[in-house]
Amino acid sequence: MAQHEVDITISKTGEVKVHIKGVKGKGCLAYAKWLSELVGKVKNQQLTSEHYEPEVKAKIDLEQNLAIDE
Amino acid sequence: MSAVLVLTPIIIASWPAITAAVAGAASAMGMIVNEKVKEVAKENQPTSEKTVEVELSESEIIAASITADKEIVVSKGDIEIRIKRDQDGRCVVCAKGKGHSEAELKQTAEQFSQKLTQCYIYDKVMRELKSKDFQVINEEVTNDQSIRIHVRRWVD
Repeated sequence: MAQHEVDITISKTGEVKVHIKGVKGKGCLAYAKWLSELVGKVKNQQLTSEHYEPEVKAKIDLEQNLAIDE
Repeated sequence: MSAVLVLTPIIIASWPAITAAVAGAASAMGMIVNEKVKEVAKENQPTSEKTVEVELSESEIIAASITADKEIVVSKGDIEIRIKRDQDGRCVVCAKGKGHSEAELKQTAEQFSQKLTQCYIYDKVMRELKSKDFQVINEEVTNDQSIRIHVRRWVD
């Protein structure tokens, strides 16, 4: 099991800063989409190195195989 | 670390959700909710008090959830704040009070609208987090009056 953590700061003006931790790959974008739809508009978004890490190794292997077939 | 987002709030809410946020904001600012849902007073009452209106530009109160001419009134000392839906459906905060300058009233109305937004977003986010089985690890109000919520969940 993986641990997903979210740190949410609602400023006194209502602006929201969200820090998504421990979520790799596309899962991170799913969280970002869910939270932005919940709160409002995205003013700024930064993806960090963990986002680019593979979610599941098997999936990466599959993609590599497909690439070779092409 | 995976991602950091900064989000600008948009309020699209029913009147009951707005009244809940107003009650939260009033409590946080030491204000009293005078009449929870009041019919708007007749406009022909003469008044010498200044009134300042602040509109929450990114807001919409769902029309079906409110009958015409409803508003909530909160007060602190001799300043009275009215929260209502304008003709375009936006949420509007009006402040008035004898002996206060326009600048003071504008500042009060803006502070209240910000607190209202913060309370509304807090309620909405907490409700959603609970529905997604997040566990609240820590929750605090920081020195700059921000609300910080730290949540966690385990996934397969």
